[in-house]
Amino acid sequence: MATAGPDDFVGETVDRARGWVRRLVDHPLPWLLPTLIGLAVFQLYPMVEAVLMSFSDESLIRPETEFVGLDQYTRLLTDPEFYEMLRITGIYAFSSVVLHVLSGLVLALAIDYGVRRKLRAHLTTRVAVLLAWIVPGIIIGLIWKVMLVETEFGAVNYFLGQVGIGPIPFRSDPELALVSTIIAGTWRGTAFSMIMIYGGLQRVPQRLYEAARVDGAGRWARFRHVTLPQLKPVLFVTTVLVTIYALNTFDLIFALTGGGPGRATQVLALFMYQEAFTDYALGRGAAIAVVMLCINLLLTGVYLYAFDIGDEI
Amino acid sequence: MTDDDHTGEDARTDPSRTEQAPPDREVPPGERTDGDQAERTDGGVTEEGAVVSETGRPSLKRIAERAAAVDLRPLDVVVYAIYGLAMVFFAFPVLWVVSASLRPEGELFSYPFRLIPREVSLSAYEQVFEAGMLTWLFNSTLVSVLGVAGILAVSVPAAYAFSRFEFRGRRGLLGLVLLFQMISPVIIIVPLYSVMTSLGLIRTRIGLILLYIGIQTPFSIWLLKGYFDTIPRELDYAARIDGCNRLQTLRHVLLRPIAPGLAVVAIFNTVLTWSEFVLAYTVISTESELYTISIGVYNFQNQFGNDWRAIAAASVVGMLPLVVVFIALQRYFVKGLVEGSLKGQ
Repeated sequence: MATAGPDDFVGETVDRARGWVRRLVDHPLPWLLPTLIGLAVFQLYPMVEAVLMSFSDESLIRPETEFVGLDQYTRLLTDPEFYEMLRITGIYAFSSVVLHVLSGLVLALAIDYGVRRKLRAHLTTRVAVLLAWIVPGIIIGLIWKVMLVETEFGAVNYFLGQVGIGPIPFRSDPELALVSTIIAGTWRGTAFSMIMIYGGLQRVPQRLYEAARVDGAGRWARFRHVTLPQLKPVLFVTTVLVTIYALNTFDLIFALTGGGPGRATQVLALFMYQEAFTDYALGRGAAIAVVMLCINLLLTGVYLYAFDIGDEI
Repeated sequence: MTDDDHTGEDARTDPSRTEQAPPDREVPPGERTDGDQAERTDGGVTEEGAVVSETGRPSLKRIAERAAAVDLRPLDVVVYAIYGLAMVFFAFPVLWVVSASLRPEGELFSYPFRLIPREVSLSAYEQVFEAGMLTWLFNSTLVSVLGVAGILAVSVPAAYAFSRFEFRGRRGLLGLVLLFQMISPVIIIVPLYSVMTSLGLIRTRIGLILLYIGIQTPFSIWLLKGYFDTIPRELDYAARIDGCNRLQTLRHVLLRPIAPGLAVVAIFNTVLTWSEFVLAYTVISTESELYTISIGVYNFQNQFGNDWRAIAAASVVGMLPLVVVFIALQRYFVKGLVEGSLKGQ
């Protein structure tokens, strides 16, 4: 009996510890804690900090900082350059969305058709498109820089020269520079739309096609009255995501044109970067960041509405 | 199920008409499959020899028959054309950059144009490696590997919790996670410098790794939660009856069925962390020993301006690891994208 005492004690402690672990493990908090800390420190806090900074005249070259209220915003909203950036960003985003979604749709349909008909090369095509998507953004900028070299030695200018055009100043002409960024962006972004829409195509119930065929619908009619309406939610979600993505583009343009020539390709993200880190005006950069944040939030709202996420959770 | 493979489908929709196309459906000659051709067009009359001898040259009918023999429809041709265009547009720039990187000095700018260089030279690569490419590769590998490991370690338990626990505020929290997934990290680059400085994480690799974990977990949680949701809860109950607590259940029972999801999350985040530029550029700043691939290559091209061969070589080395990983694993990648982004449709 004398030896049983300590054993009981040890056993009890182990039991208690086990129960304690069990209770801890049965509570959701320990499971979520790392995520919550990560989100708070690296997402929420910087965003709050951005908002606070936008009400100050914080600068990288002056030590003291003052609260300036809405000054940064009034300054931004009366700055004609800001509207120029908005215009450029708008053109970039709009063209990107149209091109990404259209080419994504065409490729998704072509690959879907190829898979069903067992055509050759559909897998190679898919891999080629996806390959462009995983190339790091900076390197995409450089690849297109090499493609679009402005003498007849550049690959694109060489081929244009063969048919009697050019050489075309793809990066030094303001308008063409914007076109070049849009092309490079489409090169990267088509894959995402293609995969999204391809996924959507797999979800169209085959019986709808069978029914349409029984009703005598031709291929075009089936596409128009079955495929398109069925794809509508996917197309909408894709459009919203591509818009958000395009509006926040940075790396590709940074490497391809650096925002130039002049400010011809300076989209909002680059404008923000320049104000904050080239002109050292953190406050002004933060105000642009808040504008971008609002745009992101607005579009996310649209996305959630599209998804009708309430039911999903 | 092919949408023109009507032989089988018609058989199902209208059993009385097996193998025959419904009369109300227009079938262009080129669109017929082998079986139809044999059943309908000849009827034992049109033999190949007969067609040729009557007219003395291959008739249209003959051509159509031959097309049907290799089973090529007009739409197939259009689709092949699309494939061709896509391959030129998407693959050519990469091939061209590889080609440019392999040329000896001066050959890039020589006529006539050729994709395969006359003479292969690795001098551009020497230039890139002298500039510090090995350091960048090492840093990117380190950041990617530890970053992805961290992302998995954080997001797997969270995804489990969102899938298996019922608690107050679950919906709201999940919505918040989604919100953070949608908001671009570009937005935080302005405060990032001061935030990272005050945490003592500026100009450190660990700072960058932690930042990536914080930024990428929301997406990973969403994707993994989807995988957890597909596993029947009976599996959990069975494990608990056997005496497993939740942690043991996750480790011994659930981890195996969600393995494809883990693979997808790992591949995805490898690509994202390897490619990421703007956050790394802000956090690492001018610390050249800590440059990742994107920063290194960007600064390299600033330095070498118009040396296209060198820029091409830097690009090739920078994307090669990802391309290899991707080609090996692209099946899972596509699967994950389709399943992950379209959940809830």
